[in-house]
Amino acid sequence: MRVNRRVVATVAAVLAVALAAAACDDTGSSADRPATSLVPVTTAPTAPAPDCGNAVASFAPLNPMPEPGDMPAGTYMATIQQRGRLVAAVSADTLLFGYFNPLTGQLEGFDIDLVREVSRAIFGDPNRVEYKVVTYAQRIPSLLDGSVDIVADVMTVNCERWGQISFSSQYFDAGQKILVRKDSDVTDISQLNGERMCAARGSTNIDELEKYPEIVVVPVDDISDCMVLFQQGAVDSVTGDDTVLAGFVAQDPYTKVVGGALTSEPYGLGVAKTHPEFVGFVNGVLEDIRDSGRWAAMYRTWLAPDGGPVPPPPVAVYGRTP
Amino acid sequence: MTSSVTTSPPPPPSPPPAANVPSAANVPPAAPAGSAPERASTRARELFAGAVSGTPGRMRVLAAIALVVTLAFGVLGFLALLRFHSNVEEARRNAEQLVRIQSIRTNLVKADANATNAFLVGGLEPPAVRDAYTNGIAATARTLAQASARSDDAPALERVNRVLTQYTGLIEAARANNRQGFPVGAAYLRQASRALRDDALPALATLVQAERRRVEDSTSAADSARDALILFLVLALVALVAPQMYLSRKTRRTFNKPLLAATAVVIVAGLLGLGVVTWSKGRADEARAGPYRQTVALATARIGGFDAKSAEALTLIARGSGAAFEERFQSTAADASAAIERDLVGAAPESAQAEAAATFADYVSEHQKLRSLDENGQHDQAVAAATGNGAANQAFARFERASSRALTAEAADLSDDLNQAATPLVVTAWLLLLAGLAAAVLAWRGVSERLREYR
Repeated sequence: MRVNRRVVATVAAVLAVALAAAACDDTGSSADRPATSLVPVTTAPTAPAPDCGNAVASFAPLNPMPEPGDMPAGTYMATIQQRGRLVAAVSADTLLFGYFNPLTGQLEGFDIDLVREVSRAIFGDPNRVEYKVVTYAQRIPSLLDGSVDIVADVMTVNCERWGQISFSSQYFDAGQKILVRKDSDVTDISQLNGERMCAARGSTNIDELEKYPEIVVVPVDDISDCMVLFQQGAVDSVTGDDTVLAGFVAQDPYTKVVGGALTSEPYGLGVAKTHPEFVGFVNGVLEDIRDSGRWAAMYRTWLAPDGGPVPPPPVAVYGRTP
Repeated sequence: MTSSVTTSPPPPPSPPPAANVPSAANVPPAAPAGSAPERASTRARELFAGAVSGTPGRMRVLAAIALVVTLAFGVLGFLALLRFHSNVEEARRNAEQLVRIQSIRTNLVKADANATNAFLVGGLEPPAVRDAYTNGIAATARTLAQASARSDDAPALERVNRVLTQYTGLIEAARANNRQGFPVGAAYLRQASRALRDDALPALATLVQAERRRVEDSTSAADSARDALILFLVLALVALVAPQMYLSRKTRRTFNKPLLAATAVVIVAGLLGLGVVTWSKGRADEARAGPYRQTVALATARIGGFDAKSAEALTLIARGSGAAFEERFQSTAADASAAIERDLVGAAPESAQAEAAATFADYVSEHQKLRSLDENGQHDQAVAAATGNGAANQAFARFERASSRALTAEAADLSDDLNQAATPLVVTAWLLLLAGLAAAVLAWRGVSERLREYR
């Protein structure tokens, strides 16, 4: 659980801007979020965007919540309880959110803690989880083929994805940024025309780059491969969510994150469309996490262990019906 | 027989008859009449006609043919055996190179399996695993240097060497990151593994194919040596028997002792040569059917085995999204099993080969147990089985030891067998040359004894 001091300090610094933005963005709606970057923020994807209303709006939380170990018959939670374990798709290389800690041999991070809370709510035991490590591109397919119950992998909620799966209420507020060498004088993505930029396949980040046709995009399967290519000089910059890039800066002091957020990336937990009652259940768990102060504690553990400011959690928006 | 000799002109190597009439040939310069060259050539023609006409003439012609053919028997037999010898030697060198290249391949997949397994364990890698990796890389570098001495393979091996340097660099980067608890270490490890698989291993596989073709092609030289020997033996016998028949008809003696002796020498030497060639070919064929096949099978099994082991670790590292790695396990393990089925299963029950075959089957069944653990949500137990003292890891270690022992023994046998096949060829080649010379001398002496009776 202990994260090294340098990691902490860098993460705190990198996230400072994003946090400030998040703190005053209490509506939780990405559409009316103040644009802090020089590049205009558009939430609409470049492809003909399916309209789903407010993307971060989810199904109402279950009320009352069933007691742990006593899931109502006929629900998907009962299926999970019967199986004896919750199957979750997570990342193993996103420092601070979902990563394989080589020192302990365990998966750790903010997303992992969320999954453990869901397990606690179903079984009364946070350890009844089977993790499946997936790439970004495998997240939605793994829900569609039923091989996992839930995706907790820095996944952005958007209308396009609502077309395929369901999301919980928003649990984190991130934004897409750019990582460059520490001695670079780049301050904005427009200065990177003609240069090589690494991004992960199947991410909203790589879709966003379609707006910058002059940039030479180098796609990889795992975002951590971007860091290897960057350290080897095979790419000039990396784009990803500020949360992910903060993890990179923590691993390499010769890098920095620049520019304002290109996009807003509200994170939600993914669940298959066929189980709206499970989405309601997860939303109930998230309600509890927010209200009980557990969210703030997790934030402190992973993102502000040095005593930096802890913003309030993103406000849940409901109103969608299955 | 006689008619054929008289109608056909004397063979081009006419020097023997010419050399045989030195007293007559010395006359022309002493007779100074007319244009010198013209007269000399006319005189030579007359002399030549005199030398080959009549009974003594025919004797001379037959003697000359016997002389040339027996000499040819010696010299060409000598050359055919030397060629066969160098061919067997070449096969031995090719086989040794094949073993070297296979060992480079094995060491690379082994290093990779160790590195991925160490990562799966997490924390600091055990000293034993680290030592195994370091020794594997050192052995690879050493074998690469030896194998590069062969110029055909040098360009491909140079590429392998470049990848090896890149690979070790990436592994060190993975380690350095791992030591600080940085998850990017895993990405370096993946890249290292990719560099090996995409670049070095295919290059080595191509070399192995080429080398195997060379080893398997070298039988033809044995056949051509044997055919040449049979042909020259028959020709030499004909060339020796013909003058004997002619002499026994034209003279009062039934047998000509020197010619008979020459015939005996040629028969003994020819049969000896044939015997040795057949024996050597048998030896080389045996080496190819036995130790060579076993060496190839063991090397294939080891490469498939290590590859399967690292696929097993990668499947566990990928945690549920490792279907592609498990497929790789299945296909590489099937390659290994096929090699074992084909060439090792019939091995003597107590032998290292039989042990290698049995231990690999054990490992595959332990792997299946580990997979069902993982598929039933018991990831930690599956990791425990795949590492340290876990059942699958120990089963694999037993296969590794047994196959390594068997491979070392078979590779040594292969070299020894081919060496044994090559050794008697040189001595026999020289014996054939001497026999040819002796037979030629005897044949000439036999005919010239009778020729003296015509003076």
